[in-house]
Amino acid sequence: MTSLASHQRSFGDVMVGEDLPPVQFPLTVYRLVVAAGGNRDFNSIHHNTAYAQATGAPEMYASTFILMGMWERLVRDYIGPAGTIRSIRDFRMRRFNLVGSVVEVRGRVRDARRDGAHGIVTLEVETLVDGQVTVGPGTVEVTLPPAGTAGLAGPAGTAGPAGPAG
Amino acid sequence: MSEDWKAEWQPLADAVGQDFGDGTVVFGADAVEPGTIRRYLEPLEIGCPIHYDADAARAVGYPDIVAPYTATMVYSVPPMWRPGEPTLYQSADRDAQPARSPINNEDLPLAPKTAGFFATDISMEFLRPLTVGERVGRRGQRLISCTPKQTSMGRGAFLTWESELVTDRGEVVARVRTGTYAYNPAGPEEEQP
Repeated sequence: MTSLASHQRSFGDVMVGEDLPPVQFPLTVYRLVVAAGGNRDFNSIHHNTAYAQATGAPEMYASTFILMGMWERLVRDYIGPAGTIRSIRDFRMRRFNLVGSVVEVRGRVRDARRDGAHGIVTLEVETLVDGQVTVGPGTVEVTLPPAGTAGLAGPAGTAGPAGPAG
Repeated sequence: MSEDWKAEWQPLADAVGQDFGDGTVVFGADAVEPGTIRRYLEPLEIGCPIHYDADAARAVGYPDIVAPYTATMVYSVPPMWRPGEPTLYQSADRDAQPARSPINNEDLPLAPKTAGFFATDISMEFLRPLTVGERVGRRGQRLISCTPKQTSMGRGAFLTWESELVTDRGEVVARVRTGTYAYNPAGPEEEQP
């Protein structure tokens, strides 16, 4: 196993106002079908053009599950394995994310504060297609460990059913 | 234009604040396991090792591989079909829909029948991620708001619901507030500019 610490962002690395590296998701039929198989939202609006159009949409479009997962991808790339996600708020889907588009997810550090030894960071996240916001902007609250630690960055109870903090 | 269609939503609007759940947990189809986590990660290309490498997960304090936080709701979705149930596939029409689906608005209480629906917004609070071997289900279905509205998609209502996601050990791992739009698609003569 490679060293996790080398990939781990610490709270001290965070700068309020900094942008997260954006992530782009070309949205093909193929990807939508793979996503439906993975998240089990088989609603035909997400993989069938004719059906989606019969419901009033211009084309098949991305499901809530894949769109939320895109936010987690952006955030997880930033917080690393020891970061935790405490909440996702105002995940508001304003426009369809249609097949054939490139969906981009962006984020920015809006706030950073300490909670004991750990840091709590509020990220503002949004999804765009062709420069128009399609989801959000919402916020994702995460925790990060202090510098020099590799353990979970959350308060007690975040580890799991048999975890050391449970 | 007649506003009679809005009146059909009034019984549901009058029930704002009511919990339509019966207090039981409706569990998802499958336990959390590495294969289904992998399939969730695949279209998103999430490469964090806590989701596929047990040693990596333990190294940061988890007892085993954990699911992505946003997959928590996915694991609460009941099965499409169970042994002994009638077939879902009752027609060979190209676009025929399954006879039943756990992702639907068929059980919308007190509301007029609608042909279309989609989620509009979600807020989730996570207490912890799910670990391999756990099962999760949904408890509660409290109606927070009901707002009839005609949109370019048709006539219907924006609805907001609250639920808890609970493991098979009875532990709440997430709280979710979901907004949906349930509607009947506009015909050509009703289409909005």
